[in-house]
Amino acid sequence: MVMQSLEIRRSSASVWGIPSGIRTLPTVSKYIDTSTCIGCKACEVACQEWNDLRPVQTAQVGTYQTMPTLHPEFWNLIRFNEQNFDGGIAWIMRKDQCMHCDDPGCLAACPAPGAIVQYANGIVDVNQDLCIGCGYCESGCPFDVPKFHATTGKMAKCTLCVDRTTVGLEPACVKACPTGCLQFGTKDDMVALGNQRVSQLKAGGLKNAVLYNPAGVGGTGVVTVLAHGDHLDWYSLPSDPHVPILTRLWKHVVRPLGMVAIAGAVIGAFGHFTKFGRKEVPGSADSGVQPPPA
Amino acid sequence: MSATPTARHRPVDLAVVAGRDQENLIVGNEIVRHRRASRLIHWSVSLTFFVCLFSGMPIWSPIFGWMAAFFGGLSAARVVHPWAGIAFFLFSAVMFFHWLGEMRFLPSERGWLGPKALEYMRYEGDDSEVGKYNGGQKLFFFATALGALGLLVSGLLMWWPSAFPRVVLQLSYLIHDITFIFFAIAIVFHIYLGTAAEPGTFGAMTRGTVTRGWARLHHPRWFRDVTGDDGSRRG
Amino acid sequence: MASLAATFGRGAMTNGWVDIKNADVILAMGGNPAENHPVGFRWFLEAKKTRGAKIVAVDPRFTRTASQADLYAPIRPGTDIAFLNGMIRYALADKSRYHEDYVRLHTNGPYLIGDAYKFEDGLFSGFDAAKGEYQKEAWGYNPDAKTKAYGVDPTMENPRSVFQLLKQHVDRYTPEMVERICGTPKETFLKVAQIVTSTGNAARVGTITYALGWTQHSTGVQMIRAAAILQLLLGNVGRPGGGVNAFRGHSNIQGATDMAGNFEILPGYLKTPTSAMTDLKGYLDTSTPTTLNKQGWASMNYFVNYPKFMVSLLKAMYGKEATKENDFGYAWMPKVDGNYSWMYMFDDMYRGSSMRAGGKEPGPEGFITFGMNPVGLGPNSKKMIGALSKLKWMVVVENLETETAQFWKAPKEYEGGDPAKIQTEVFLLPASSFAEKDGTFTNSARWLQWKWKALDAPGDAKADQEILARIFLAVRDLYKKEGGALPDPILKASWAYTNPANPDLGDVLKEINGRALTDIPDPKDATKMLRTAGQQVDGFGQLQDDGSTMCGNWLHSGCFTEAGNNAQRRVTADPTGLGMYHNWGFSWPANRRIMYNRASADADGKPWDPKRIGIQWNGEKWVGDVPDMKPDAPPGTFGAFIMLPEGVGRLYSPVLNDGPFPEHYEAIEAPVKNALHPNVTSSPVSKRFSTDHDKYGTVDKFPIVCTTYRLTEHFHYWTQHHLNGRLNEIQPGFFVEIPEGLAKERGIANGSQVKVSSARGAIQGVAMVTNRLTPLKIDGKQTWQIGFPIHWGFGAAEGHRGPLANMLTPSAMDPNTWTPEYKAFLVQIEKA
Repeated sequence: MVMQSLEIRRSSASVWGIPSGIRTLPTVSKYIDTSTCIGCKACEVACQEWNDLRPVQTAQVGTYQTMPTLHPEFWNLIRFNEQNFDGGIAWIMRKDQCMHCDDPGCLAACPAPGAIVQYANGIVDVNQDLCIGCGYCESGCPFDVPKFHATTGKMAKCTLCVDRTTVGLEPACVKACPTGCLQFGTKDDMVALGNQRVSQLKAGGLKNAVLYNPAGVGGTGVVTVLAHGDHLDWYSLPSDPHVPILTRLWKHVVRPLGMVAIAGAVIGAFGHFTKFGRKEVPGSADSGVQPPPA
Repeated sequence: MSATPTARHRPVDLAVVAGRDQENLIVGNEIVRHRRASRLIHWSVSLTFFVCLFSGMPIWSPIFGWMAAFFGGLSAARVVHPWAGIAFFLFSAVMFFHWLGEMRFLPSERGWLGPKALEYMRYEGDDSEVGKYNGGQKLFFFATALGALGLLVSGLLMWWPSAFPRVVLQLSYLIHDITFIFFAIAIVFHIYLGTAAEPGTFGAMTRGTVTRGWARLHHPRWFRDVTGDDGSRRG
Repeated sequence: MASLAATFGRGAMTNGWVDIKNADVILAMGGNPAENHPVGFRWFLEAKKTRGAKIVAVDPRFTRTASQADLYAPIRPGTDIAFLNGMIRYALADKSRYHEDYVRLHTNGPYLIGDAYKFEDGLFSGFDAAKGEYQKEAWGYNPDAKTKAYGVDPTMENPRSVFQLLKQHVDRYTPEMVERICGTPKETFLKVAQIVTSTGNAARVGTITYALGWTQHSTGVQMIRAAAILQLLLGNVGRPGGGVNAFRGHSNIQGATDMAGNFEILPGYLKTPTSAMTDLKGYLDTSTPTTLNKQGWASMNYFVNYPKFMVSLLKAMYGKEATKENDFGYAWMPKVDGNYSWMYMFDDMYRGSSMRAGGKEPGPEGFITFGMNPVGLGPNSKKMIGALSKLKWMVVVENLETETAQFWKAPKEYEGGDPAKIQTEVFLLPASSFAEKDGTFTNSARWLQWKWKALDAPGDAKADQEILARIFLAVRDLYKKEGGALPDPILKASWAYTNPANPDLGDVLKEINGRALTDIPDPKDATKMLRTAGQQVDGFGQLQDDGSTMCGNWLHSGCFTEAGNNAQRRVTADPTGLGMYHNWGFSWPANRRIMYNRASADADGKPWDPKRIGIQWNGEKWVGDVPDMKPDAPPGTFGAFIMLPEGVGRLYSPVLNDGPFPEHYEAIEAPVKNALHPNVTSSPVSKRFSTDHDKYGTVDKFPIVCTTYRLTEHFHYWTQHHLNGRLNEIQPGFFVEIPEGLAKERGIANGSQVKVSSARGAIQGVAMVTNRLTPLKIDGKQTWQIGFPIHWGFGAAEGHRGPLANMLTPSAMDPNTWTPEYKAFLVQIEKA
């Protein structure tokens, strides 16, 4: 279900685009400070509780990480990673979830009109009613976020708790976070908070600390403080995420060209007919198919 | 084999009866061009193609969203499309092997890739050595077979998006699209030539028969082979 | 907690959760707060983000806490005293590293110790080898011959001063020795010491936090002692941002101990009478400490009020039946005649005879276990199961069928025996869970916070108070009808609740707070009444020893006054700016948020740090937090530690059972001999048991050091999560954390099954191979350590089962608190 009270900025597979621009909202954002995340997974549980997702069967396979990737019933995953750093260990815990890109690859790839929308406040949401479960969004997302739900036949991912945030509450994960490493607010505020924390980390000796807000997707609605910005792979984050070129090529080049080409073929056939007409069999009597003699 | 009806039969359409299981056969004024099996195969491919087309086009672009109405909406179209695709491929495969023997390229048909095709479309050139299928038809045959395969493979990858790397998926979408585009162009001409442009052709796929004149015009060598008429009587 | 009481006067977290945000340095050792106290851990991060505080984590494993720390130091389980004593030595080596003015003013550093005290070859003086106990008389102070006050040398240079004795005691703990014992690289240790001792001055404050990683050792109390000594030297006790902060493992464990969770205490840490104390006077004389005035300041010795607290408790116990003439019913109080702590109790049970008073009596025949799962949480699971098999009957009050309730069908590997042959009759009474009843939680920070019932209990489940009340009333009826050997303790007990069969917990809290039974005149103004009959008292200051007041727990007094239920207060105003929140809940004692806060100010009552004021003297009274001091007593009147007879913090504490100073002893099962005194390797006063289940492993067969711990995803055993799929999903099963090197050596792959065995049993689980556990060089020898969490058991539903971690833990314990040694023992590991 899409939030009717929120104006839509962008909608998947829309022919003309739909924003009216009458109502504007500041872009909202979630702040994740991986440098103060303790990996307690309260956010994982809160996410499932609020969104009424069912428990997923898991097994202990030698890691603190709950499951290998996000899952249609698990939209918020803390990724654990142990790395050698500075003669010791860096135990990375990164909250993996939908990044709510300003230029969302999922939305770009989605063929179902209105199935993926970007609200005026920047939240990217799947409209389950319109989703056809084709999975194109999986290919368009540079963060490997949307997941196909085999039972519902729809795609599922974090909604940034649009049902909470619309009525002035913070997302469930932020509410549950015990350490304050998750915050919610306007994008401007969250970026300011992130930059402040990054300078603090740098002053503390972590010279490569960054605020992950990649420009390739127009910036993300989820901004992440990374202590080791020079090792994005430790966080399973792409260094230069963008809407895939192949998706753009297919959607914006091949498809229109193809339509022109097919239309061209039809017009060509007409044109041919007007110029050359039928290729008649000489002798009109011979041309028709007669019923055979009895 | 003889298609001669027995006297006990009620008057029947001898050509159609003959066409049940025979072709390349003269029945009265007509020649059976495609026996029933061939036609069934053709129309099966054709039907599944259109199902794929109408279920696929609305996914391809929202401009064709209205087509989804045939299936009860886009979600249903998305469910129908891959299964119709499988059916389309299977029928295409049967068709491929059904006609493969008759689709051997002759050395003289090389030109169909270029100038010959244009000449043909201008209703010019010497067609006297064209057999049952001309070079264009053979080209179309192999192109569609290849297309069906391309659509199948890319389509299967697209069916299980979670199972494949993103780049593979993106390539699949591209391949599926490009294949479809060429396929669609080819089909436009196939239908145009088979209906409006060349009267008498459509019957070959409905009744299964063509007239002698049609055969002589479009496929002279086939005409000669079937009738034993080397054309000397035409003078 | 015994340790903090022995050092500061009260056994609880000195400061509070929120106060951690005021620290400049936080040492997390003997605990993994990010894992086990994630909500409280936010204040660590607050300090880090807002003050640039440094977090130092010292732990056998690189933990979730370590992941947030500025510095992590590995340490071998059970060697924390060596590490802490090393830091004390480091601090004492340079005056810039300890807070000299504070030490002189607020500790017993200048006190002189009697000549009988000695420490030689790993033993303190007064050791009675036959009993395996110390005679503590040998450790006394040295009283001044003329004044009888205790001798003091303000220069702290007298070789018999506590300060010099401490210096001498820790001199052996060089950084090299620390490395040899703990395995912590010398450079890392020095970095830790440098950061921690950077708070040894007025300008900076540091806190030390710990939890069960210190408590659960055979030297647990002394580990905490070492930390407390270090904090006194650094001048960090009583100050905002300082203290020794004990993190309790359960939401209400502080409340449980406050309300007499242990056999040796009554509510409010009053002492359980022993059978030798036959009358009230004798009991009060023994229990009320004599004030030890030093030269200079007097000691307030607040515990001179002990009789008021005890008599008020007796009035709460026996109501109108308690009169001055009958010693307020003292005779009816149960008296202890031996050790009723956990392991002793189960030892008695298992052997079928009691060790008490000579050991000739039969062991217990019945057992009531309330909200507790002894089979799961007791050490040496097989012995627990064996012990329960000897009982005639057992009542388990629980909301689920725990391992204890189903001990008789324990799987084969627990050696429980044949269910058909076990004669124990087991009754399982369904109890409600915490959310199905109201009441209070007393958190680590000593805050009583009321909670409201969230939902009704399912089926026949009843709230604990109703179960207790109905048993009590039924037993009382039986005594009334049938009489008995000693009916009075039951028949005379007061049960004055509005609904006797299901007491309202508000009623109970009122009783705990206490009220006046008759009018109490105001001592300052004879025309006024301090309290009129029936009024709730404002606090323990109004309690009387003449029977005119009653109070269920003097320490909690003030929680439910005439103003109402203070545990229900939720005011978020914080005028102090230091996170004290005086109108949120109620913090014992007297709603004081930082204990010993007098020590946050200097001799003149000025705060050491004007930005972090605990209390200060404004010329008339102490202002700031609720003063831990007579509010109108000018600076110089009393010492800062009012609960201790000395009035000052104890660097030297002659009251514990295993020595006045902390000394490094190895765990009962250790991979090496004690590097300091090989002839006394482990604590000489830690008892061992001798049944067939009490086996102790040696390094030749069990070369690997093992520790146990908890995970943030689970709260205690499976009983808390097996009906909740989400928690199982995020931490689905038992595992064993194994260092990469050891895994390689033994051919163990990550995710494969391994078997871990100790002298007592073997368990199996998934291997988690990690470099968060490192090999340590102990006494020149490479030593491996592994660990596993405790959350599983055989009693859970399918898919939630796992081995009981305590199958492997030894019957070893601390000699003061009798807390089992869960945190350091020896094992062997192999592929399963």
